[in-house]
Amino acid sequence: MIRLEHLSKIYRAALVETLALRDLDLTVAAGEFVAVMGPSGSGKTSFLNVVGLLDGFDQGRYLLDGQDVSRLSDRDSSRLRNEKIGFIFQSFNLIPDLDVFDNVDVPLRYRGWGAKERREAILGALESVGLGARTKHYPAQLSGGQQQRVAIARALAGRPKLLLADEPTGNLDTAMAREILEMLETINEQGTTIVMVTHDPELARRASRQIHLLDGRLLDVAADHPRPLFAPTGDAAMTTFVS
Amino acid sequence: MVGYNLKLGWQSLRRTPVLSSLAIAAIALGIGVATTCVTIHYLLAGDPLPGKSDRLFYVRLDSWDPERPFDSDFPERPPNQLTYRDALAAVVESDIPARKAAMFRARLYLHPEGAQPFSADTRVTTRDFFALFAVPFRFGDAWSAEAEARGEAQVVLSAEINRKLFGEANSVGRTIKIDQQIFTVAGVLAPWRPALKFYDIHNGSERSPEEIYIPFALARPLGIVNAGNTSSWGQGWQTVDGKYDSEAVWLQGWVELESDSQKQAYQSFLDQYTDGQRAAGRFQRKNNNQLQPMRAWHQQEEAVPPSAKSLMVIALAFLGICAVNLIGLLLGKFLARAPEVGVRRALGASRAAVFVQHLVECELTAVGGGLAGILLSWGVLGVINRALEGDVHYRLDLPMIGTGFGLTLVAGLVAGLYPAWRICSVPPATHLKLQ
Repeated sequence: MIRLEHLSKIYRAALVETLALRDLDLTVAAGEFVAVMGPSGSGKTSFLNVVGLLDGFDQGRYLLDGQDVSRLSDRDSSRLRNEKIGFIFQSFNLIPDLDVFDNVDVPLRYRGWGAKERREAILGALESVGLGARTKHYPAQLSGGQQQRVAIARALAGRPKLLLADEPTGNLDTAMAREILEMLETINEQGTTIVMVTHDPELARRASRQIHLLDGRLLDVAADHPRPLFAPTGDAAMTTFVS
Repeated sequence: MVGYNLKLGWQSLRRTPVLSSLAIAAIALGIGVATTCVTIHYLLAGDPLPGKSDRLFYVRLDSWDPERPFDSDFPERPPNQLTYRDALAAVVESDIPARKAAMFRARLYLHPEGAQPFSADTRVTTRDFFALFAVPFRFGDAWSAEAEARGEAQVVLSAEINRKLFGEANSVGRTIKIDQQIFTVAGVLAPWRPALKFYDIHNGSERSPEEIYIPFALARPLGIVNAGNTSSWGQGWQTVDGKYDSEAVWLQGWVELESDSQKQAYQSFLDQYTDGQRAAGRFQRKNNNQLQPMRAWHQQEEAVPPSAKSLMVIALAFLGICAVNLIGLLLGKFLARAPEVGVRRALGASRAAVFVQHLVECELTAVGGGLAGILLSWGVLGVINRALEGDVHYRLDLPMIGTGFGLTLVAGLVAGLYPAWRICSVPPATHLKLQ
């Protein structure tokens, strides 16, 4: 689904150049659930912006679903973003003046679908996140968890192949975070590739793979399986504690 | 997407009512002033007789001083008016034109029964004047050809003077004393107030049409002279008879020529006439008899007051300033919305889509202001008309409303292009975290 080859991203100010991503090589297969971890300033957001076609890059190559996106025009990259990528943000990023229905409608408007097709997709997406009865509510009338579910419905309504989630549970309490994560897992099980940026190791462990960024470099690629929180040490007390 | 963008624009206007009202007020003011001035210019410069003016010709004969041209700046131009003799012989007495009118403006005294006499603006002319210039009648008609031939004292009254003298009554057949002569009313005009006094642009083109109209045939017998411009190169024109007999030019001559052949025939007639006069000692300059189409005549003589054009240019500049001021307002409004634009970009809006969305909002703002501005213009023109104390003079017609709307769209474009370009150029990733 995603293939990055020697990809680098540099931010240039008047006198300073910051290497945000350095020589990244990464492949994310279709249907994977990848967690991207790293401390603040490690390049996670730059990584997500480049992968989400929200920002360009300076060196290397990026293939999205087999298509080289290195030299796309704004129009083509916008179309690709609209058709293939869904976004979920930490702060939900719903448009406050639009009700739930119209918020979910936004990406479909740019898709150019007809009214009937859009309506079916919107109601289907809202039903799938359990908000079919809240179409006329405004974001301010919903809880944080409900807002994030609307954001998920908005991301899914256009049936994207790739879902990019930036700290999707960062603004939610534990119960709601779990609910959202379960929802993402379900979406992933249905075939959507998910790349999720998170600080939370517990969340990251639920992914099928973790990747770590530090100073714009890909440090290591973790195993293709969820890993235990603590590796066995042979210490009996610790083993008992962990179990 | 147009409907969607209109919906978003409307929502945005409602979300910021104070800012939107300011923007709409700025455009309304600009459009109001611009539409008013453009309308005034349009009515002054427009075709006074659409469909007919191309058949109407102003008669010019070069009877001027053989030593120097009438206008040293434009030596090829004959005098701008006619002598009495030429108006009579070359215009009134010719059978070639379909219609013809010789005329001049005078001021005569009306003596209403039981009231103080007062002076009235008078047009001394031939009966064809009314048909030639499509003057509308409310009662009666022009004096007849027979009455004109017999030199009967008949008069046509304007609607205004008829109201003053006889109320709203049909006064045809009633009599009125004008100077020392009793006239019988032959007709009463319907309200008639062309923006430009197109038939006599050298004697106050901005004036209202005259209040009374009397036969040309009575001019000399009654010793009536003009109240307007007289130009002369000879001597002895200062007396009444001298004015009629001298080379002074003070009358206007108009003809209606329905075909090219009729025009050629009349042109030949004029040339033969001046050849004849030359043989008798007049017209010592080379033949330079011109039949000038009405609109070309107006254009050459700059009948539209230059102030009207200047006012229009200033008003359009004012509209431009209003639109430019709006740029700052819209820019601030749009940039405050950058996070939302970032979300839209992330969800698939292209830069062009964001640009169009915001341009539509600008145009929506402009249209709101434009509608208010057109209403404002309608009101201002009403005030001007009342101040001019005439019948309805300047009014907004469909073409002018269309022009106002066109100016509105242009103003919206001028005000909106830069803010829309700026907001669509904002990198989407920059504001996503801030939302």
